[in-house]
Amino acid sequence: MTTPAVEVRSPARSAAPRLTLGALLATALLLLPFTVSSFWIRIATEVLLWAGLAQSWNIIGGYTGYLSFGHGAFFGLGAYVTGIGMTVLGWPFPAGLAVSGVLAAALAAAIGYPTLRLRGAYFAIATWAFGEMLRQVATVLEVTGGAFGMRLPPFLNLPFFYYITLGTSTLVYVTTYLLLERSPFGYKLLAIREHEEAAEMVGVNTVGVKINAFALSAFFPGVLGGIYAYWLTYIHPDSVLGGIITDLMVVMVFLGGMGTFWGPLLGAFLVQLVSRSLWLVWGESTLYLVIIGAAICIVVLFMPGGIVGLLEGRRAPLLAPRAAWRWWRERVRW
Amino acid sequence: MELFLQTLIDGALIGGLIIVVGVGFSLCFGVMHIVDFAVGEWVMLGAYAAYWLVRYLGQDPMVYLPLIFALFFAAGWLVYPLIYRAVSGRRHHPALMGLVFTFGLSTLAKGGALSAWGYHVRSVSTWLSGQSVSLGVTTLPALRLAGFVFGVLTTVLFMIFLYGTRLGVSIRATAQDRETAALLGVDVRRVGALVYATYAGLTGMTGVLIGALFSIHAAMGAKYVIFAFFVVVLAGMGYVPGVIVAGLLLGLIQSFVGVYISGRYTLFALFLLMYLSLLVAPRGILRRGL
Repeated sequence: MTTPAVEVRSPARSAAPRLTLGALLATALLLLPFTVSSFWIRIATEVLLWAGLAQSWNIIGGYTGYLSFGHGAFFGLGAYVTGIGMTVLGWPFPAGLAVSGVLAAALAAAIGYPTLRLRGAYFAIATWAFGEMLRQVATVLEVTGGAFGMRLPPFLNLPFFYYITLGTSTLVYVTTYLLLERSPFGYKLLAIREHEEAAEMVGVNTVGVKINAFALSAFFPGVLGGIYAYWLTYIHPDSVLGGIITDLMVVMVFLGGMGTFWGPLLGAFLVQLVSRSLWLVWGESTLYLVIIGAAICIVVLFMPGGIVGLLEGRRAPLLAPRAAWRWWRERVRW
Repeated sequence: MELFLQTLIDGALIGGLIIVVGVGFSLCFGVMHIVDFAVGEWVMLGAYAAYWLVRYLGQDPMVYLPLIFALFFAAGWLVYPLIYRAVSGRRHHPALMGLVFTFGLSTLAKGGALSAWGYHVRSVSTWLSGQSVSLGVTTLPALRLAGFVFGVLTTVLFMIFLYGTRLGVSIRATAQDRETAALLGVDVRRVGALVYATYAGLTGMTGVLIGALFSIHAAMGAKYVIFAFFVVVLAGMGYVPGVIVAGLLLGLIQSFVGVYISGRYTLFALFLLMYLSLLVAPRGILRRGL
C-alpha cells in the first residue's frame, strides 16, 4: 500500500457545519476577556501566542522541510527591537511591532540566502548556531542591558494583550491558509520538501521560494516577540532568546503534526495545557522538561504524523505497548 | 610571553579532552548519519555517575573509569534500537527524525537530572586535584594534564581500533557506503549499535574527567553540545582525524578569547566560527567531511 506523498484534498464537503463551528469559536474567543478571570486571560494569551509561534515555525519546518533550530532568535529579536525602540528611540508600540516584524523577516532573508543552501542536519545546526549567537550578542551589548535585561514602559492591560495576540495569531493562520494551503506557493514548498532536485527541474525557483518561506516564517515571531516584550515589561536574554523558545515551537509542531494546518494549534494548546497544569500542581518545577522530552520521543517513534496524523488515520499508530516491547527486544542482541 | 605560553598550553589541554567527545560524535554521524543532540547529556550523566559512585563507594573517581565506560556502553546499546527506529522506516526525513529524537532524549535527560538533583553544583575531587607539574617555563595543574593524557590515550587507542582491526574496517566501510558494506556481509545494524554504544561509553567516561576538572550540575550538558558540534562541524562531519585538529583549535580559541578579550565573548566566538564554517566550508576546514 502506498500513500501519495502530497495528498490531494477531497472536494469540499458541505461548508455549513464548519462555518457555524468557526463562528462559534470566533465569538467565544472574542468574548473571552469579559467572562473569565485575569488568570485565565493570561493563560489564553499564552496559548494564542504559542499557537502563532508554532504555526510560524511550521511554515519553514513542516511545509518546507527545513528544520530551523534557531527560530527563537527572531522572537527574541522582535522583543529587543520593540524594547529598544520604545525606551531608547521613543517609538509608539505599533511602530515597534511593525519594525520588529520587518527586521526579523529581513534578517531571515539575509541569513537565509547562505544558510538555506545547507540541507538536513547541516541547516538545523547552522540555524541553532545562529540563534545562540544572537543570544550571546544580546548578553554582551550595552543597549540590551546585557545579562541583566531591560525594562519597557509598563502597560498593565490584560485584555489589550489578549486581543493583540489573538489578532496576530489569527493573521498567522489566515496567511498560512491562503498562502500555503490555497495557492501555488504552498505546493512549491511541498515540492521542495518532497524532492528538491525534482522541484528545481520542473521550474520551481527553489532558492527564491525557500527564502520567501523563511522570511515569512520569521516575520510573525518578530511581531509576537514585540508583543511579548511589552506584555512582560521586563526582558532578558534567557526569557526571550533562551533555547526553550525554539524547543517549544519544534515540540508543538511535532506533537500536533508537521506540515499540517491544524497541527501547530493542537500542539500549542496541549503543551501549554500540560505545562500550566504542572505549574499549578507543583509550582516552579522542571518536571515539564521530562514530559516534553518523553512526548517528543514517543511522537517520533510511534506517531510521526503527530496528532493530526492519528486523527486522519494516515499511518497505523504503533501505540500498542506489547508490540513496541517485542520490536525493541528483537533488536537488542545480547 | 609567559601568559601567551600559559594560554596556549591551557587551550591545548582542554582541547585534548574535548577530542574524545568529538571522535565518538563524529563517528556516529559518519556511520549512522545521527546527529546526537544528547551528547552533552551523556557527559553530564557520566559526571553524575562518578559523583554517586564516589559518594557511596568511596575511592578515587579515576578508579571507576572502566566501570563507567561499561555502564554507558550498555546504556548506549539499549538506546540504539530506538534511535535506529527513528532514523529508518517510511518517514519524510529520516536523518531529521534522528535529530529530533535525540533532542527529545536530551530534554528528557536534562529535565530528569534537574528534577532529581536540582540546581546544586557538586564536585568530585581526585588525588590529582590541587597538584601541579612543573615544566620549567610554566607549571600545569596535574588534573588538566591527566585529562589531556586521557584524551590522547583514548583517541589513539580508538584510532588503532578503527584503523587496525577487522571490526574497525567494517565500521569505516559502513561509514563510506552503507549499502555496499551490507552487501559485502557487514551487519550494518550491529555496527551501528556498536558505534553508538562505544560513543556513549567514551562520552560518559570523559564526563568523569570534566566533572572533576570543573563542576557537576544538571544543566552542564549544553556547553558540551556546543563543543561537540563545533568540533565536528570544523572537522567536517564524519571525518574522524579532523576532530583532532578541530578539538585543539576549540581549546585554543576558548582559552585565547577568554584571556585576551573577555570570557563573555568565548561562546559568541565559537558560534560565529561554527556558523561561518558551515557556510563557507560545510565539509570542514580540511574539506574531508561527508
